[in-house]
Amino acid sequence: MNGIKVDINHLKKGEVNLGTSIMAVKFQDGVILGADSRTTTGSYIANRVTDKLTQIHDTIYCCRSGSAADTQAVADMVKYYLQIYAAQLPPNETPTTEIAANVFQEICYNNKDNLTAGIICAGYDKKNGGSVYSIPIGGSIHKQDYAIAGSGSTFIYGWCNENFKQGMQKDECVDFIKTALSEAIKWDGSSGGVIRMVILTEKGVERLIFYPDEYQK
Amino acid sequence: MTSIGTGYDLSNSVFSPDGRNFQVEYAMKAVENGGTSIGIKCKDGVVLAVEKIINSKLLVPGKNKRIQTVDRHIGVVYSGLLPDGRHFVNRARDEAQSFKSIYKNSISVPHLMDRLGIYVQNYTCYNSVRPFGIVSIVGGIDDNGPHLYMIEPSGSCWGYSGAATGKGRQLAKSELEKLNYEELEIKEAVKLAAKIIHLAHEDNKDKDYELEISWVSKEFTKGRHEFVPDDLLEEAKKFAEEDDDEEEEEEEEGDEMQE
Amino acid sequence: MAGLNFENYQRNSYLSTKGFATPRATSTGTTIVGCKFPGGVVIAADTRATSGPIVADKNCEKLHRLAPKIWCAGAGTAADTEMVTQLIASNLELHALSQNREPRVITALTMLKQHLFKYQGHLGAYLICAGVDPTGAHLLSVQAHGSTDIGKYQSLGSGSLAAMAVLETNFREDLTKEEAIKLCADAIEAGIWNDLGSGSNVDVCVMEVGKDAELYRNYLTPNVRSQKARSYKFAPGTTAILRESVRDILDVEETVVSFDQMEVDTEA
Repeated sequence: MNGIKVDINHLKKGEVNLGTSIMAVKFQDGVILGADSRTTTGSYIANRVTDKLTQIHDTIYCCRSGSAADTQAVADMVKYYLQIYAAQLPPNETPTTEIAANVFQEICYNNKDNLTAGIICAGYDKKNGGSVYSIPIGGSIHKQDYAIAGSGSTFIYGWCNENFKQGMQKDECVDFIKTALSEAIKWDGSSGGVIRMVILTEKGVERLIFYPDEYQK
Repeated sequence: MTSIGTGYDLSNSVFSPDGRNFQVEYAMKAVENGGTSIGIKCKDGVVLAVEKIINSKLLVPGKNKRIQTVDRHIGVVYSGLLPDGRHFVNRARDEAQSFKSIYKNSISVPHLMDRLGIYVQNYTCYNSVRPFGIVSIVGGIDDNGPHLYMIEPSGSCWGYSGAATGKGRQLAKSELEKLNYEELEIKEAVKLAAKIIHLAHEDNKDKDYELEISWVSKEFTKGRHEFVPDDLLEEAKKFAEEDDDEEEEEEEEGDEMQE
Repeated sequence: MAGLNFENYQRNSYLSTKGFATPRATSTGTTIVGCKFPGGVVIAADTRATSGPIVADKNCEKLHRLAPKIWCAGAGTAADTEMVTQLIASNLELHALSQNREPRVITALTMLKQHLFKYQGHLGAYLICAGVDPTGAHLLSVQAHGSTDIGKYQSLGSGSLAAMAVLETNFREDLTKEEAIKLCADAIEAGIWNDLGSGSNVDVCVMEVGKDAELYRNYLTPNVRSQKARSYKFAPGTTAILRESVRDILDVEETVVSFDQMEVDTEA
């Protein structure tokens, strides 16, 4: 019995949890973010149509996983940082995804003892095109071609690794994310609801939504 | 000096009735006696140069550098009270580092200038402090290409193609106005900088000077701010001085035209 | 985190051998709901306040005013919902005064979430926040830890499951104002009948774009105490007196005693 160590303080009592399946993928024209829409409090679904894709700047978004309160607070902070940063930029220039991701990393690392936040930051900017950064729970940062996170992601590591292709077309990439997330939702009890997507390109922001009767085939 | 005896020049935070801050204007006087500093922004980089007056024969040549580096990609040169300049550069370094600690990226030159402008302006607002006795020329390269700025004791800060300050600034400015900045390449600019400093020294011939030149270039320094290599410096010095004979002739013509 | 996890089973059985029984779930005891309709938003709440197994108040008010046209329904710790609501109402009014504009629902929500996040869930306030402002009608909710949700219909509190069942079956996008009120009242009633922590009456608040907010205190009173069939008053003298003992009341006298001015040597 001495050997057991259970982290019972991982989530505070009654805390709203984003047991989640989220991902972001680079493609030819930019980047696409995807997420399920389930928010849980223990075994109760507190919200079945959550929007876990949060805007940070014009064409920079993040996918949130972990504690809803923590990730919302961090996203609000980064949004604020970037507003100030953008105000000091020359006209017609916007912050890069890299800047946003670095601010996320800084906040997540400095407050690691108090945060349960796993974030994927992705966006489009003129300098780098589409880019994807993963900021997992300890506050490290990883630049990737695609990133998956949340409790549901464990079920699709292999599939994504096998089927990801560099420089996909838009429709191809949407299908890739849709299939990956539908599998994650199928196997993970904490993920579910609709699949939301945000497409970030030079042209701006496009939102997509897929209902269970479609993605479950 | 209309200000003397009126009392409006004694404190920083007080305007004269015609809306001037005399302390700031006096600070400019401190600059006007310093060795000439110039900056040239060309199409592929920035050059900074300074005329370092030799006040003692005991000073070691090549030591006592006047041009300083703020961040890897940004350099500063200034004329006026040198300790003020060192404090200014210290602050600039702090700003660059604080930016980097948050964003993990180097600060852009215009953004750094925004911050430094605010800092210098602050020293014109309180009577417990005095304005900076320097005019600084800041040059560097960032994602948007080369930048050159000049910042004054008032805190005002402008972007330039060619900038000059210090004792020989009038002469240097008229030389800088002749350049074609769209076409100018950096190696040429280094030589011209040497020449302009040399010309600006004419009025101060009784004292010796040492030439110091630095540059920032994508091609030659990989975007870093560095002193120019010795061979290029020698070449530039030679270029500046070999024209001396012609220059004297030209100068005579020039003088005539002015009259 | 994924999938089923049996670690706690081992831990719990270990703890119960040491005399720590599995903790019993304690109900915060409330049903609150909100629902949107074209042109406005409705929120509603039950009126039971509990302290442990005792009904502390049969007709309490769980609908709080944040601003004239922004109201919120509170579940969780009564003291926390009341105080946090009053604080934000105060700050919101100062904000509206300084900005010379009508306050917005999103402003109230941001102030609430930032305050609650600061207290890391120790303030047990779960709120459904609704109202109309220059940008339209809004329905939002905040949880104690500072997370927020947006939705066309929402429920919170221990009766939220019963209420949500009603909302999920009967909600439509094109509800009229009257239908929206009925839907909310029905949802609260579901909480009143099926949740032990909720009971008594239904309070409703309707906020319509371009109109003043309307509070319907005790919109439904499905739990009126009926007239007792018999009177249970007993005539004086029904209880026999067995023994009588009369004692004198002890008099306590208080007098004010004044002293002469104290002599102080001021020479030194």
